[in-house]
Amino acid sequence: MEIEKGKITGLIGADGAGKTTLLRLVIGLLVADKGEISTLDLNPEKQKNILNTKIGYMPQKFGLYEDLTVIENLKLYADLKNVSHDFDKLLEFTDLKRFQTRFAGKLSGGMKQKLGLACSLLGNPEFLVLDEPSVGVDPISRRDLMKMVRQLISPDTTVLWSTAYLDEAHSFDTAVVMDKGKIIYQGSPHLLAKTAQEFEEKVIELMGGYKKEESLVAKSYVPHDIDMEYTVFADNLVKKYGDFYAVKNNTFKIKKGEIFGLLGPNGAGKSTSFKMMCGLSKPTSGTTKIFGTDMKENPTKARSYLGYMAQKFSLYGNLTVEQNLNFFAGVYGLNKKDKQQRIDEMIKSFNFEKVLKQKADELPLGFKQRLSMACAVMHNPPVLFLDEPTSGVDVVARRDFWNHITSLAKKGVTVLITTHFMDEAEFCDRISLFYRGQTIAIGTPKELKEKANAKNMEETFINLIKESEVKY
Amino acid sequence: MLMALIKKEFLQIIRDPGSIIIAFVLPLICILIYMYGINLDTPSVTMGIKSDDTSSEIHSLIKSFGNSKYIKAVVYDNKEDITRDIARSKIKGAVFIPQDFCLNLSKGKTANALIVTDGSEVNTANYVYAYSMQIINGWLSSSKYAINLRTVNKSLINVQLRTWYNQDLNSHYFILPGSLAITMTLIGILLTALVIAREWERGTMEALLSTKIKKIHILLSKYVPYFILGMLSMAFNVFLCMFVFSIPFRGNIFVLFFVSGLFLFTCLGIGLLISTITKSLFLASMISVAAGFLPALLLSGLMFPISSMPKIFQYLTMVLPPRYFITFIESEFMAGTVWNIVLINSVYLSILGLILFIVIYKKTSLRLEN
Repeated sequence: MEIEKGKITGLIGADGAGKTTLLRLVIGLLVADKGEISTLDLNPEKQKNILNTKIGYMPQKFGLYEDLTVIENLKLYADLKNVSHDFDKLLEFTDLKRFQTRFAGKLSGGMKQKLGLACSLLGNPEFLVLDEPSVGVDPISRRDLMKMVRQLISPDTTVLWSTAYLDEAHSFDTAVVMDKGKIIYQGSPHLLAKTAQEFEEKVIELMGGYKKEESLVAKSYVPHDIDMEYTVFADNLVKKYGDFYAVKNNTFKIKKGEIFGLLGPNGAGKSTSFKMMCGLSKPTSGTTKIFGTDMKENPTKARSYLGYMAQKFSLYGNLTVEQNLNFFAGVYGLNKKDKQQRIDEMIKSFNFEKVLKQKADELPLGFKQRLSMACAVMHNPPVLFLDEPTSGVDVVARRDFWNHITSLAKKGVTVLITTHFMDEAEFCDRISLFYRGQTIAIGTPKELKEKANAKNMEETFINLIKESEVKY
Repeated sequence: MLMALIKKEFLQIIRDPGSIIIAFVLPLICILIYMYGINLDTPSVTMGIKSDDTSSEIHSLIKSFGNSKYIKAVVYDNKEDITRDIARSKIKGAVFIPQDFCLNLSKGKTANALIVTDGSEVNTANYVYAYSMQIINGWLSSSKYAINLRTVNKSLINVQLRTWYNQDLNSHYFILPGSLAITMTLIGILLTALVIAREWERGTMEALLSTKIKKIHILLSKYVPYFILGMLSMAFNVFLCMFVFSIPFRGNIFVLFFVSGLFLFTCLGIGLLISTITKSLFLASMISVAAGFLPALLLSGLMFPISSMPKIFQYLTMVLPPRYFITFIESEFMAGTVWNIVLINSVYLSILGLILFIVIYKKTSLRLEN
């Protein structure tokens, strides 16, 4: 692989393809077993010390000290890089000026990422290495990150940027596609495909292609025959922390078999709403009804209709895939005969055969998400709540996920989902756009696009948020 | 660069209520517990006997001391040796028998004897006294003077008790200073065991390693702030002991802080080594409790005399820094500066501290894997 000076190179690939390892090798954090690397004409193995003065690196966890304030983090990294404490331009650009004295741990996801990027940009590095800086970030913050990089680097700075967003990679000068530890494509993304959409198809093709098959999860789903039009109700949900409204008057109802998307920037209150919907957090006022059962009055019964997949991986990392499946089947109280049958179905539907004996912690992210999904649908729930199920999942696995979701919906499962991928939003039947704790728009993707006068969901998202900002 | 890291570490300490609690609140709780909740026992001690009486009956008395299951008696010829050995804790007390002991007894008069105990270990002192009395009285009733016991209507032996170093036999006098060792172990091992592991777990180490940081920077930025925190806590403890609980201090304050500094340096080494190797918060905290805190509490000689432990544990205590520090701090508080003790302990603590520093330096890697 060769990376051209002064260009932005995108690194894409499936989960566990070896992207992070490659980045670490390039800057000398790891030493290669075989082969040679030359970074800025230096050998990262032997000349790591000189090399480090010339690079800026942002690891996946950003490397911020959460108990230091924004300005203290910047000062620390400036001192480590021996550069002056002149942060005006950076603070201005990142819009972090008003949060200078806030602890890094208290910033929203998008802001943390901006601060992490700002720290790695200090001292004008010749080579900037970013490990998935935009994972789990809303479209607006992603645009900001991109703008930051493009405008704050000098013309001959080289950038290596790993990402799961193919539209991002498509906008770079060069794209490198990795699969199973090997580089399978390197070249201009524009030569490969003209639009981001086509680029995605091409990358999927490179990665072995995606064949849409019948979803076995959906096939084995046994419909609950309850005659009810709206299966999920959220009635005036409010969550107040002190004087601050995390969620303000959230009201919606979801039809049986509908896929309902909850979109919004980081920190808008999506996850808080989610937690209230499944009874994990008590609303300050308002209530939810699942299948006609009030979550406040009878939480156990209401929850029994639910399959929930949390944003953070919340299975047992030191149990194997098989043990996790067994455990959840037991927790849901499936009887012995059903239990084995159901587990076998899950193994088949999600292709767990090869990883059955592997510990959940050691799985690539995509497989972890599949396992979470499997555990959520194990007990045949008529309602599914999925909180960012596709964050950090590669493009092929995402397609697979959506195949399951849409197939389940067709059989009458009601789905409530959040996502930061705007192309996924198109698959939803209806969308609620959430901002600052309030619903600012609700409707089908088509309706919203018309309302925002935009050609795709990303533009819709940005326009509607900006519009509501003006109103404030 | 180093200053930036040290400054950062201090900010983290100040913001983390946990470290402040460990440094300043915990010692207070420790001291209160030690004040009111300690009671100890010793099965076997060594003591000295010096007899100026040359009569043959005395030999059977010395023999009785030798026959006791609980006491090992060593015969001394001069008082200076006894004084020296008590100061070094080689013996826990001594019996002095005057020249006219047997003579007085045979005349039916009251004979005098003197028992000296080492008050820096209160329970052992009481025990030495009680057993010595029992042995002397036992010997008397089986000796030829026993006849006089019935004829003379008064006590035949008058034993005087002298307690050295801690005349009031106040156990707090040694337990409170000893608790300093516990606190310093907590700060040195428990707190620092977490700091490097925390950087690994939160991913900040990866970012640090991609700057031009040197190994020595990483190490010193961890040693210096926690050393300062530990010494502040030490000063706070000493203040509590001396002025709030009025524990007499007979030593030299500079010597006290010098040796404490060395002890802290060693503890920091243990803590940072655990942290460097495990790289995980949970493991580091578990190991530091098992390898740092519990031995300091149980095997240092503070709670349970080392002499009463099984042999294998006695050897084990030889490599534990708290053992050396506790010997030092108890003698420094109660007996004054004993240069022998100061020297041995400082040499041992500095060597161990330096070895640990070097091992950590070698173990620290500027990469994610070795």
